[in-house]
Amino acid sequence: MPVLRELIDVVTMRSDRPVRRLVAYYVILAVVVAILAFFFPGEIARIAAKGLGDVPEGPTVLTDALSSPTSSGTFGLGSLLGVVVTTIMILLGALVLMLPVTWVYMSARPSGGQHNQNVVQTLIFLPLVVAGIVFIVQNSLALAFSLAGVVGAVRFRTTLRDTRDLVYIFLSIVVGFAAGVQSLAVGAVVSVIFNFVLIITWHYDYGRNMLMPTAAAQWSRPLQALASPTGDHQIPDRDLLLSLTPEKADALAERFDRVRDQIGKKKKARYNSILTITTDNVPDAQKQVEEVLERMTKRWDLDEVITNVGKPSEIYYLTRLKKSIPKDVLLTAIHENADGIISSADLETGEPVDDKSDKG
Amino acid sequence: MIGLRRFALLAGLAPWVAGCRNTPQAKAAQLQAVEATRKQDLARRLALADANPTKPVPVAEWIMPPELKEISGLALTSRGTVLTHDDNVGRVYEIDPKTGILLKGFSLAGGVRGDFEAITIAGPDVYLLRSNGKIYKFKEGADASQVPYTMYDTGLGKECEFESMAYEADSSRLLLACKKFLQKDAAKEVLIYRVPLPLGAGSAITAMQIAMKDVIGSNKWKNFHPSDINIDPFTKNYVIVASKEKGLIVVTPDGEVVRSQPLPGDHRQPEGIAVTPDSLLLVSDEANVKPPAITLYRWRE
Repeated sequence: MPVLRELIDVVTMRSDRPVRRLVAYYVILAVVVAILAFFFPGEIARIAAKGLGDVPEGPTVLTDALSSPTSSGTFGLGSLLGVVVTTIMILLGALVLMLPVTWVYMSARPSGGQHNQNVVQTLIFLPLVVAGIVFIVQNSLALAFSLAGVVGAVRFRTTLRDTRDLVYIFLSIVVGFAAGVQSLAVGAVVSVIFNFVLIITWHYDYGRNMLMPTAAAQWSRPLQALASPTGDHQIPDRDLLLSLTPEKADALAERFDRVRDQIGKKKKARYNSILTITTDNVPDAQKQVEEVLERMTKRWDLDEVITNVGKPSEIYYLTRLKKSIPKDVLLTAIHENADGIISSADLETGEPVDDKSDKG
Repeated sequence: MIGLRRFALLAGLAPWVAGCRNTPQAKAAQLQAVEATRKQDLARRLALADANPTKPVPVAEWIMPPELKEISGLALTSRGTVLTHDDNVGRVYEIDPKTGILLKGFSLAGGVRGDFEAITIAGPDVYLLRSNGKIYKFKEGADASQVPYTMYDTGLGKECEFESMAYEADSSRLLLACKKFLQKDAAKEVLIYRVPLPLGAGSAITAMQIAMKDVIGSNKWKNFHPSDINIDPFTKNYVIVASKEKGLIVVTPDGEVVRSQPLPGDHRQPEGIAVTPDSLLLVSDEANVKPPAITLYRWRE
């Protein structure tokens, strides 16, 4: 593994970006497979594409039962060795295809999410077992029925915390099947495309619901929940309080302090929107965005900067918009001023309470 | 970076790995050596068999690969090799019976699966028979190729279950021996259908009946279920093998049984038979306790 890591470092010029490291891994893998295919074309074709149809075998010398121990009715040492080598090769093939999947699983987590070590290890073990089962069962209906009976007797079930984990498990089964039927080429294509699609959707936070709390808005929900709906601001929600751990309560208290600092002692809310900027160049982006904010908002404050590796960093601003400047105009101005520096800019506006209070 | 020591190790391994490569020339040389050795062995065993003609012994037994676990029919090519196939899939293999070298394998286009039971060659065409009487016609293909085919339904599947087919060049007909009658009131006989070529030209299919008592002769069989049929190249008689009875009969084209005897050797499931122009009897066995194999005997009239 250290050698592999070193090789990947060489190819990626020590980049930490997952896409680059993934591409480097597959390039190294392709080179190794090409070298092996050059020296052992028959063997590689047998594990990569045998299940897909005809693979050129060339002339094969059959065992002579009359001049070898196989006349007793058992397969010879050569056949046994062939089965052993093929089995090892398909298992290794499944392993090298699943390694990058585990890396993607561990790194491409949603903000604040943690990976499950059990799932990581399952992703490594499951395809090996599936490949072994399929390799034994293939072409035998009787064995397939036996297997169904055995699996039915074992009855293993577990509940996965994240539905996305299930997709990884399915992928590991697909790779295991592909290895078992000696069609690793299919498994390779599926896992490569899966990894890149997953990394790209994670990179661009594809499908993020704007109503979901961002990193900066994490505190807004507990705050709203804690505030009594009756408006007396005296008794917080009892159930919510009981559900808090001491650590969560401390974190919440810290956020309360931050909010108090932001709001001061005035009755009106100081900010009515959150500006989210994603960028690969935080200092320059800050400079360009803040120029616009200074010019076009009533007030603004830098709330939080989250530095990411492998995907754009996030900058959060609390802002109070000028009535004369609509949301779209502000975003357009930010895009124009920070053209090429920022990846995206979003403005989440809060309840129109503040506007009413301003009017009233 | 990769250390100098590791680089040196890799550099040292490279020539060794390069040496491992089985070049086409090296493989061809190995094959030639095996061929020469095996031809010598076969000649020696044939000489021994000829010295003791009363005791039929196998002169060669080639173990089939897993792909031919359910090896079925045999068909002789003009090159002296045999075409054979597995029971479950439309994939044909060419084997040199004198050296035990599997030369190539090709498939029907689309990887057709089915209960393929017999194979025969008629000129440039190869025919595969399914147990339901459907015949697939195609040309021989190169290694790992897929060949187009045309399928012809003889319509005989309602009457019989088939496992045997041979090409009778003299009459330009395919011979299909019925293994099992599907009608309950069918007569107890060996029935050989004659299907004229070209298929589908409208010529009538005829049949030849052979009385079961003539087939059984002095053997202890109760019935005879043909599992393959082929033509003796010397006499043009029909050589028929029955897997269930482990028996062999020879019948003239007129229906006269000239030979009826148990198969020599220990055969668990003989599914194919062929007689070569150099007097060798080939019997193919499905995997059944013993591994699948093609066994060679000296063929005597």
